Amino acid sequence: MANLRDIQRRISSVKSTQKITSAMKMVSAAKLRRATDAIFSARPYAKRMHATLAEVAAVQLDVEHPLFEVRERRSVELVIITSDRGLAGAFNNAVMKRADEFIAAHEGELENLYLTTVGKKAGDYYKRRRASQLSFARPVGAHVHYLEAAQIAGRLMDRFEQGEVDEVVLVYSEFVSTMTQRPTVVPLLPFSAAAGAAEPVEEVATAAEKLPYEVEPSAEKLLAALVPKAVEMEVFRALLENQAGEHAARMTAMESATKNTEELIDKLTLEFNRARQAAITSELVEIVTGAQALD
Amino acid sequence: MDLIVVTPNGEAFSLPVEQVVLPGAEGEFGVLESHEKFLAPLVPGPMEIRLADGSSEWAAISSGFAEVTSSQVVVLVDECFKAHEIDLEHAQHSKAEAEQELRDLFQEIGDEERRARLESAIVRASVQIDVHGRYHS
Repeated sequence: MANLRDIQRRISSVKSTQKITSAMKMVSAAKLRRATDAIFSARPYAKRMHATLAEVAAVQLDVEHPLFEVRERRSVELVIITSDRGLAGAFNNAVMKRADEFIAAHEGELENLYLTTVGKKAGDYYKRRRASQLSFARPVGAHVHYLEAAQIAGRLMDRFEQGEVDEVVLVYSEFVSTMTQRPTVVPLLPFSAAAGAAEPVEEVATAAEKLPYEVEPSAEKLLAALVPKAVEMEVFRALLENQAGEHAARMTAMESATKNTEELIDKLTLEFNRARQAAITSELVEIVTGAQALD
Repeated sequence: MDLIVVTPNGEAFSLPVEQVVLPGAEGEFGVLESHEKFLAPLVPGPMEIRLADGSSEWAAISSGFAEVTSSQVVVLVDECFKAHEIDLEHAQHSKAEAEQELRDLFQEIGDEERRARLESAIVRASVQIDVHGRYHS
């Protein structure tokens, strides 16, 4: 009865796959909770930052900052953020597809299009396809740290201020919900105080009612300290959203994989039982015909 | 007066205080109750928190800014460690490591990014060591 043993072997192999996928689902669920907590924790800082920035910008309309400077668009740096690891459904591919669309649409009109990748998936993808345009690639790491986001942002701001690029654009997955992650394209530089407030800022209203600040030492110097922080925060937020989206996508993918293994096990078990019954029946038939032959 | 310290990782802490001394970009400054509304950039350094009972607490902060209103001081910084949270060995280790790496880097020209990163790592570690020292003296 080789057939029976074959089915049994398949059932046990599918069962061990199921153990892996359901374990990965649990791990992703735990990581997702931590990742969404991190998004929530970053909110008070982001809110206060935007409120303050909006307030200073409102008082000092004429203040200039190198990161505000709008130039003719000749060189663009595209920052593509993905995860380090796969097994997350279409999560990374959706972002890279969006990035490819951006590249295809703008490549012709630009002198230079540079790529920065964060996350090994995007790094590997563009190393193979557009190695000459890749200016910087780094992994995301196990956890997103603010100082790392600050480093990435610092490098982008340097390139912008030195005139190497006229625009910096982010492509990343926005974490809408556990079921939905939306690939988004967001301009980062030149920075505008209004565009930076991607989240609804309720505190601005109350902040605007307050008296203007006494600013020390000067509005220019304050803005010089404030604007890079806001840019860093934008990058940090994109990394956090990407992180949460990655775990959510993996959790969903693993959940449906687990469901598939369940279906497969049910099907195989049915097949196994049928084969078993067929074997018993044929054995019985043999015995009965043997007994009849003796009569 | 309330002191609220907010970092990108969440609200670090908030507590009622008597006075706060902060490392401003233009030098140290103290803030007392009913101070005029005020906004100032901060540099990495020690923050002294004087409590109502006359005792002092220390914390190491990195760059950011302070928003002062008459009843509260909001400190927005990248990082904030209270003195008792500081891991002295870790700080000393990362400082020594960054210093060594920086010395090696001086052989070659260029790589400003890395240099800046190492310098800021040294400053942050030094502040932590300093604050730790004040707390334990």
